[in-house]
Amino acid sequence: MQAFILRNVVQRLVLVFIVSILAHSVIHLAPGEPSEVDPANPRMKPEDVAKIREAFHLDAPLYMQYAYWVRDLASGELKSFKDSQPVLGKIWRRFLNSLPLFICATLLVWTLAFPTGIQAAIHRGAVYDRTTTFAAYTLISVPGFFLSYIVILWVVDLFGVPVIGLKTFGMDMAPPLFQTMDRVWHLVIPSLMSALGGMAILSRYVRSQMLEVVGQDYVRTARAKGAEETVVIYRHALRNALLPFVTMFGFLLPGLIGGSVIFEQIFAWPGLGRLGYEAILARDFPVILTLNFIAAVLTLAGTLLSDILYAVVDPRIRTGLQGDG
Amino acid sequence: MRVKRWLLLAPLLLTILLLQSYFWVPTYEKQATGNPARLVTYIEASSGDAKILNPILNADTASSGIVSLTFEGLLDLDENLNFRGRLATDWMISEKAYLFASPSNRLPDGAEITGTRVVERIRAALQDEAFAALADNVRSVTVLPPVSRTTTVSVQTQDADGNPTRRKVEVTFDVPERVAFSLHRVDQDFFQRLLPVIGDRYLENFPYERYLTFAEEVSPEIKAQVFAQLPELFPVAEHNPVIDFNLRKGVRFHDGHEFDAGDVKFTYDAIMNPGNLSPRTSDFEPIKAVEIIDAQTVRVVYKRLFSPAINAWTMGILPEHLLNAEAMQREMDDRGLSDAARKAFGMRDSQFNRSPIGSGRFRFVEWHSDEYIHLQRNDDYWEGPPEYQDYYMRIVPDLLTQEMEFRSGAVDYYGTQPHQVARYKEDDTYQSFSSLGFGYSYIGYNNRRPLFADPEVRRALGMAINVEDFLRYLLYGEGEHITGPYPPNTQWYDQTVEPLPYDPDAAQSLLETKGWRLNADGWLEKDGTVFEFNLITNSGNPIRKNIMTIAQNAWKKIGVKCNTQYFEWAVFLKDFVNTADFDAVVLGWSMGVDPDLYQLWHSSQAGPQQLNFIGYNNSHADDLIVRIRQEYDQDVQRALTHALHRLIAEEQPYTFLYAPLGTRVLDKKIVLVHRNEDGSERYEKIYPIPSGDITFHFHQWRKLEFTPSL
Repeated sequence: MQAFILRNVVQRLVLVFIVSILAHSVIHLAPGEPSEVDPANPRMKPEDVAKIREAFHLDAPLYMQYAYWVRDLASGELKSFKDSQPVLGKIWRRFLNSLPLFICATLLVWTLAFPTGIQAAIHRGAVYDRTTTFAAYTLISVPGFFLSYIVILWVVDLFGVPVIGLKTFGMDMAPPLFQTMDRVWHLVIPSLMSALGGMAILSRYVRSQMLEVVGQDYVRTARAKGAEETVVIYRHALRNALLPFVTMFGFLLPGLIGGSVIFEQIFAWPGLGRLGYEAILARDFPVILTLNFIAAVLTLAGTLLSDILYAVVDPRIRTGLQGDG
Repeated sequence: MRVKRWLLLAPLLLTILLLQSYFWVPTYEKQATGNPARLVTYIEASSGDAKILNPILNADTASSGIVSLTFEGLLDLDENLNFRGRLATDWMISEKAYLFASPSNRLPDGAEITGTRVVERIRAALQDEAFAALADNVRSVTVLPPVSRTTTVSVQTQDADGNPTRRKVEVTFDVPERVAFSLHRVDQDFFQRLLPVIGDRYLENFPYERYLTFAEEVSPEIKAQVFAQLPELFPVAEHNPVIDFNLRKGVRFHDGHEFDAGDVKFTYDAIMNPGNLSPRTSDFEPIKAVEIIDAQTVRVVYKRLFSPAINAWTMGILPEHLLNAEAMQREMDDRGLSDAARKAFGMRDSQFNRSPIGSGRFRFVEWHSDEYIHLQRNDDYWEGPPEYQDYYMRIVPDLLTQEMEFRSGAVDYYGTQPHQVARYKEDDTYQSFSSLGFGYSYIGYNNRRPLFADPEVRRALGMAINVEDFLRYLLYGEGEHITGPYPPNTQWYDQTVEPLPYDPDAAQSLLETKGWRLNADGWLEKDGTVFEFNLITNSGNPIRKNIMTIAQNAWKKIGVKCNTQYFEWAVFLKDFVNTADFDAVVLGWSMGVDPDLYQLWHSSQAGPQQLNFIGYNNSHADDLIVRIRQEYDQDVQRALTHALHRLIAEEQPYTFLYAPLGTRVLDKKIVLVHRNEDGSERYEKIYPIPSGDITFHFHQWRKLEFTPSL
């Protein structure tokens, strides 16, 4: 098992290196200059632009720029072009803003998708099943941003409550409990909106997995034994249906970075997705590259985690590994 | 079954936890929920962030909004757009006038002109009944001895390659003996009134060449250029309007430092300092000198008659002690700047512009770029503190977000789009105000083109257009039909001028009297040419584009062939407007509160890059325009502007279209608070002042917990 992990880690380190080089080249080869040195900016004098280009190493060869980036990232000195703030600190603050949204949305997806999916599988072909199927496909096909705007208009007009941003503006003087609840409320709509799509897809998965398992021999055997229907479904069938979902946990990780660009934009949420989006628009290379790097690390860590989790829960795979190792 | 229970319970609990938070959040109706401070906080949304918070440097709307709250000028405009004292308690406008005593001319009786003789004659005349009005205005008459003045004159010449370039020529002018007058009031006709005494031809033919010496030998062409400029540099008869400001005692800047005359002079000097690149320089250019009489008195002497110049003193006054050379030196030391940076360091680089200190009703607290600017009330304000405790300008770039935040009570103010106005007016959850700004739209005809040279033809074109169509279909009723060159909410606008009637038939017969007949194709034709022209405007403005289409269609009905085209703004200006190479344009003006129309309508301003690009040229109008800007008596000025308005309306160089209404919506719980002497409060509904501004009483605004029935 240790050898399996070690080998996987080494493979992925090599991959991260390759990905970072690729990302670096793609971003530098893309057209457009950082807005600070854009010659179209009338407020910049040519000598200032030259000075800034020099400070940003923009005229150095690409491989040197890559080396500077790695050096600065490793020493924690990497600074954003835009405001000269340390990149890692910036990303960390935005990450803390994104985290509650991510957790809340994930919880919504996973807690709501299972009961709906299971119920649909049990009552296959009934009105409930058809309704949820219809709802799921509707949610999958309607663009999230469109639905978000509708919901914002509806909530604001009906209830007159603020829904945009991290918190209600001007609440700094309120007691802590009110402030906390205000923040929770501001989580509700954006996390629900970003969860809807995932919920629809995941509940479909759950339904089909359950249907597959319910048709298996051991379920029939359990029924034949005279076990109660709930026991059959929730003990015998569900446990086996769960297996593939364990691996999906791992794939959640990279969603931390890119998962909610659109929703953060619509809800004016100062999170990581928006940071990345704005950095791309302003060609803020250090921020783009670092975010990209973190995304790559998280993706690879996620797949590693999935592999390990799968090995843990599925004895068949574990046996295979031992035989292999 | 535990698993089943949990599978159902978990989502239920999560949903309840999330949704219950709704009951803790302030709603539009109950904004003070858990947060009573919200009632004394005013939050405004702005699309863009401020750039520089310095009254002499800012040039964008967001910055000037903040600056107008944190800084205060000597004057501001009252409800009727008249001047009102702020840092100045009152001010006196008088005049110093100077007249050359030129020995080359003769007095009416043939006597030689000397300073003393002119003074004697004038003093004698002032005793006379016939000059009673003049005598009433003259405070004193004295003789000034000759002086010598050295100055540089800028002239056009050619460099070695034959390219035009400018150079400075140093000259010495021996100013002859002068008669100095001190007048109680500014009188632009003062010297004309004196002519019976000093002779009709006194002001003409002053022999400048006799009094001028060049520092170096120059070519005759350059000499001619210098002489051409002399009458303006050293006029024979010179008006110097003087304003004496009495300053308010005991006013303190937000840091506690007392305001005095030194700050006023410092602010003026800072504007005129070329290193500061102030965009206000031209407003202060007519000033000859700012003199400190004592700590509470400032005298401003102007170079020439220019009554709108007083407007400039509504600009905020800077604290000298925080921005003078000493303070700048301190800041450079504190920031440890390099030598190169020190050399370039100026007021524009100072940290002051990001954390300003003024003397206005609100003091600056903090500025989070792209997030918000926070101000707090100035409890030390001389007129008493405002009702609001805090002021926030939030930066919300997206208009929809701004509206959503407004409707949920997280922003107190929203400027609606025309199509939303009707909806907000009907909605009694909000209070809405529609009022005129200082702008208007028009179709301008290139008066130089023979096609448009005849005012009757322009009138006919205007009569063919139904302005009500624009108002109804483009502005959703949010505009007013206008008849002349002034904003209709100023006193300069003559409300009695009738708008052109919409009468296509009359328009057609009017054109027929001018020889334009319908041809077989249905177009108007004269001497074999069809009445055809191009109407252009800039792209990116859907309303202007639609105006073009509606006008084109209206003209087609009377047989006028109009081709429309629109161009990107820079191209539009460079290739068409600045070079006056167009037939007709759709454009708009954003005006000020002063009555000066010199740049827009004077015939001297019709050159390339100038604003009278339609080439309007009427000597009577020119005369009125000059008299208006030289007149210091408001009643006279108003009569003149009404005459000018009527003249331009008759001439129809533009087809004047409409002045748009701006509609702003406010939270209905915001009211005007009046404090009675016994400490109780009385509330009044917010109302716009005659000019349309609703924020005039902003310092009395406050939000109530309930919607009052007013």
